[in-house]
Amino acid sequence: MDESLDVLIQLQDVDCLLREMRDPEMASQEERLGFAVEGISNLERTREKLASRVDGRLLQTYERMSRRFFRVIVPVNGRVCSGCRISLPTNTIGRNSEGATYEFCENCGRILYRR
Amino acid sequence: MSPATLSPTVEIPLLQQHLRKALFISELRTKRKSSVLEEMVAVLATADATRHPEGVLDAVRRREALGSTGLGKGIAVPHARSTLITERSMVIARSSKGIDFNSPDGLPTHLCFLIVAPPLERDPVYLNLVAEIVRAVRLAKTRQRLLDAPDFGTVRRTLIEAANG
Repeated sequence: MDESLDVLIQLQDVDCLLREMRDPEMASQEERLGFAVEGISNLERTREKLASRVDGRLLQTYERMSRRFFRVIVPVNGRVCSGCRISLPTNTIGRNSEGATYEFCENCGRILYRR
Repeated sequence: MSPATLSPTVEIPLLQQHLRKALFISELRTKRKSSVLEEMVAVLATADATRHPEGVLDAVRRREALGSTGLGKGIAVPHARSTLITERSMVIARSSKGIDFNSPDGLPTHLCFLIVAPPLERDPVYLNLVAEIVRAVRLAKTRQRLLDAPDFGTVRRTLIEAANG
């Protein structure tokens, strides 16, 4: 997997965890079950570090799309985008400043990764 | 069709839906928390639940860094969501020696349930599954039966009985 995409996936996982921990209902459910939840500021710093490693243009696309979608980066199952469940006719290829390529779903625009 | 001929809808407990022999480690090789998590995630890759175990391990460790998922009484339920997981999965592992999971009671962990799931927006199932495990192992006799179980079949039966009980 491309390194920048790999970092972007980690960023999405951190964002997901941050959303959960900031969600009062989910955080209290964790605590009710007996799990300790602290150190969110460390997680925020991890996010900053990861974001600094992603190509600027790709990060911008991710940030913009994450306002619309819960998951911006999704796996391709067969030839189907697992975000919108639409079969991919052809791949739309994006390119970052270093020349690495990414695939985008033609229908929903999500960033795709191959399993 | 008379109502008598209709088959009733049987709700299978979440825990039961996630019991897979390929995701069972009868005895962990490692003892340190960090390497135990690595060993458990590696099983996910072997069972084809992910092709990117390193990324999944990162997500599990990040959740663990927020606070230990050791619950005490010899139980730990590490859990995380990862983009690199396509289907919710559970790995069960036992350690007769015990693992230091920084549990609140300070006791070593002997039973570890790792839950991983994809990051879905509306997925109450994920924490409900965690809750079902917590409920299923609340009794000391259940925990002991799980530790003494000679094989996965016995572990499975014990957990199903406990979840239904």
